[in-house]
Amino acid sequence: MTKTRNAARASGVVATVGIAALLVSGCTRDPATGGPGGDDSGASPGITDDSISLGISSPLSGPTAGPGSCTVAGLDAYIEAKNAAGGFEFGDGKTRQVDFTYLDDTYDPAKAVSNFRQLVNDNIFAYVGALGTPTNAAVMPIAEEEEIPQVLLTTGARTFSEDQEAHPWTTGFVPTYATEGRAFGELLANANQPLTVATLAQNDDFGQSYLDGFNEAIEGSQVEIVADATYEPTDTTLDAQVTELAASKADVLLSAVSVTPLQVGVLTKAQSLGWLPRIFLPSNTSTPGTILQPGGAAAYPGVYTPSFSKNPNSPAFAADEDVIAYNDAFTKYGSKIASTYTPHCTWSYTEGAVLDEAFQNMEKPTRESFMTALKSISGFQAPLLLDGITVDTTTNDDAAISTVQLVQYDGQAGFKPVTAY
Amino acid sequence: MSYFIQVVVDGLSNGAIYAAIALAIVLVFRATGLVNFAQGGMAVAATFVAFALTRAGVPVLLALIAAVVFGFVLGGVLERVVMRHFEGGDPDTAVVATIALLVLLTGLSALFFGYEPHPFPSLFPNRTIGFLGAFVSLRSIGTIAVLLVIMAALQLLFRYTKLGLAMRAVADNPQSSALSGLPVSRLLMIGWGLAAALGAIAGVLVAPQLFISPGMLDFVLVYALAAAILGGLDSPVGAVVAAAFIGVVENLAGAYLDFIGDDLKIAVPFVAVIVILIVRPQGLFGRKVTVRV
Amino acid sequence: MNTFFASRPRRIAGLVVLAVVLVLAPLVSSPYINYQLSSIAVFAVAILGLNIVMGYTGQVSLGQSAFLGLGAYIAAYGVLHDWPPVLSLVLCAVIPAVVGMLVALAAARLRGLALAMITLALPIVGVPLARRLTDLTGGSQGRVVSWLRAPEATGLANDQWRYYVVVVIAVVAFALAHNLVRGRIGRSFAIVKENEAVALSMGVSPYRTKVLAFTIASLLGGVSGFMYLAVVQYTSPETLTFFTSINLVAAMVIGGSASIVGTALGAAYYVLVPVLAGQVNSSRTALISGAILLAVLFLLPAGLVSLPRRLASLLRRRPQPAAGAPTPDDATHRAPASSTATTE
Repeated sequence: MTKTRNAARASGVVATVGIAALLVSGCTRDPATGGPGGDDSGASPGITDDSISLGISSPLSGPTAGPGSCTVAGLDAYIEAKNAAGGFEFGDGKTRQVDFTYLDDTYDPAKAVSNFRQLVNDNIFAYVGALGTPTNAAVMPIAEEEEIPQVLLTTGARTFSEDQEAHPWTTGFVPTYATEGRAFGELLANANQPLTVATLAQNDDFGQSYLDGFNEAIEGSQVEIVADATYEPTDTTLDAQVTELAASKADVLLSAVSVTPLQVGVLTKAQSLGWLPRIFLPSNTSTPGTILQPGGAAAYPGVYTPSFSKNPNSPAFAADEDVIAYNDAFTKYGSKIASTYTPHCTWSYTEGAVLDEAFQNMEKPTRESFMTALKSISGFQAPLLLDGITVDTTTNDDAAISTVQLVQYDGQAGFKPVTAY
Repeated sequence: MSYFIQVVVDGLSNGAIYAAIALAIVLVFRATGLVNFAQGGMAVAATFVAFALTRAGVPVLLALIAAVVFGFVLGGVLERVVMRHFEGGDPDTAVVATIALLVLLTGLSALFFGYEPHPFPSLFPNRTIGFLGAFVSLRSIGTIAVLLVIMAALQLLFRYTKLGLAMRAVADNPQSSALSGLPVSRLLMIGWGLAAALGAIAGVLVAPQLFISPGMLDFVLVYALAAAILGGLDSPVGAVVAAAFIGVVENLAGAYLDFIGDDLKIAVPFVAVIVILIVRPQGLFGRKVTVRV
Repeated sequence: MNTFFASRPRRIAGLVVLAVVLVLAPLVSSPYINYQLSSIAVFAVAILGLNIVMGYTGQVSLGQSAFLGLGAYIAAYGVLHDWPPVLSLVLCAVIPAVVGMLVALAAARLRGLALAMITLALPIVGVPLARRLTDLTGGSQGRVVSWLRAPEATGLANDQWRYYVVVVIAVVAFALAHNLVRGRIGRSFAIVKENEAVALSMGVSPYRTKVLAFTIASLLGGVSGFMYLAVVQYTSPETLTFFTSINLVAAMVIGGSASIVGTALGAAYYVLVPVLAGQVNSSRTALISGAILLAVLFLLPAGLVSLPRRLASLLRRRPQPAAGAPTPDDATHRAPASSTATTE
């Protein structure tokens, strides 16, 4: 019988806690967070005369935490530096401080949705820069339904960038993976000679888009794919795939691998098998210090990668103004969030500048006005972008940055421009 | 033909990575009777010690020794301070405690070193040699050689030494071991310490290939667990043979069965393990356990 | 007799209060709170299945996320083909149950780690399989759905309607499970957990009992997948990862093994601790979650469900347990056969 009493007490405790929780949260059912707009007299949620709040959910723990942390750290560095310098100027003549909240979703879509709801509940004005295809895909329908900007996402998946009429509140930031793949394909097709290619692609949207872009560009040319392999991001090594591809003795290896140790493994394995093709690497796994040097990339006749942003660790840019400003801001603010550099750190810093640009053209403190301003940026040479690469948000079928430059590894710590194969 | 040999050789070097961790699982199971999810976390923490030392200019071999010592202390301390609390209770609770330790150690490693993978220097020269038309890296050969030595040492430890026999007795039945005068708690501590020290060796062996990061062993652990269980959980030889089997079968399936492909090749060794276990529940090299009534 | 009368009205009163809270909660809470409450209901059903096979029957399962994912994919397929939700729900229960039963028929003769291995293989193989079967699953992009919108007539917002859908399913699942574990089948679970040889001597087939427990666990896993899709409106191969299974096992033990109330508490833990960790420091969630998990295990080895008992024994300062000292008493004293009753 004591046992029954215990249970009764347990349910009593549960009920009391429940009621207490309700009382605490009782006043939070606020129509403004549920429906679009807010009252017509004034501002959208999350913006006042002197502040605006932004939120992001990225993987900050687990296997994708390196790039995930960087999508937060670079943006945080830009925002905090600008806040410290007085704040952001807005098109309505006011100056505001940006309030930036970041949460960890461990690359789990259910957690990303939970975080998004939490941020909306905490009255963010916009959701910016999040990394991850499945996580953002899960958030997108809610953002659309509740008309909350989910913008400048750090993912090259085509879903977010190529059909913006269907989802007007969502935009991608970095070039789509297809854009990167297409750049390689064009280089080869323009060489006007018979070339054989082996492809290695991640078995998901990243790898598939890469190949799609590549295939579009080589159609009708003398370039032929003679061997292909895929891998899972959880694979321990890619030795088996490289062995299979090496048997084809192709002239070129397109290695759409997004995992750092695996990409290094590809570079070391291929040369250990005596196969020295020209190699194409994606922009997110071609950092000299962490990938090319450990992988012995100097042994290959040519290692190419698409680039749109300056590498702050490269000696070539050591005196560059943007890079100096970035390094200062990052050391002061961003390094608390991300300890190791990945390109996502610079990308998200640039993204901060794009937001800044949009704020300057935002005439009313509303989400609609923000989206209008954000979608009318063109020819903007944002900090850290390579010469000739600009931000253009006016098209409805591509990411904010839609061009890349191919560069070639110089055998040491940097890259040199490429013009022909 | 040389392609076939290359595929098998690649499979064996993958298998060596699984075997390194599988041996540590076998050791901790023999010494404590538990499956220890914290195994990976302890190995990574110890490997990070070696990483920090090599970054400070210490030679790899010295760093390895330091990591082994650190691992031994870490394992012993965790047993004494944390796991002791759960011994004699519900085994599920103890297993979840090891999960908690794994999460905690991962978080701690990330606190100091971040989540991004770092390159790790190899104990062995970074060269490859030709072998029957295939290429083998010296690193893989070295790893396999070290593993075989460890395997033999463990086999000797558990079969012939007093310590090993006492540890087995404690793992099998703590109550009667205590009654017969064995220092149960000290033996458990030593068991955990040895397992973590072995984890440190395994970590240093595989880190040049996998790169050191807090989650370095998360997925290897799954393969290693499969190898340890297929090998019979209490047999070092079994674990190594099973790990080699898993590595080779996976690679052969990926290379030769088109409908399997690179994406589903992981299924082949797991299905094979399941079939073998159903036919032979005690694993390839395990002792048959009779049911207590 | 007196205690019987004294406790029964309190018990009923407790349930009535709980029911009122469950009904009123979504009406006054923000969509965010409703999402969290709905998520708790989703994972409560998944953990309930796990508890039946692990907590009550003593068989390790590391594959629950595979059934969760399977259910979510079936529901998503149903949305795509305009099935009525009730049909989806039925299939989300039946198909995973059949799959679980087939796996169990092959595996239930094994025990301990061999069984753990086989269940572990389900999510390991399931993830690449889900990516491969693009036509059925949407591949690595997953499936975004928009369904179970609130009918106009109810005047409810979508988040409130979805909350009611999943909470009703969860309450029904919990009520059925409660009756199951208290009945004849529950007793056979407990006997098999305690000692299979004794079970045989009492005419209970351990093999059939284990297959039954696995089938029920898979069924509940599939149903929770349906609920997952209702709440998250999205599913992808990430839903079935092996790490979800491990976390579910941890949540089950944290809540209280072989306990119905504990299952609900474990689900609350599963959903709320990451949120809490994020509030403290988003960059250190692993560290914080690990520390919390370990702390709870230290203080309450028998799970959160033992908290009232533990507090009561601390308050009453009974002489026998050294008052206040966190000893592992609860774990050692808790015999599986009696633990069924402690929860009620």
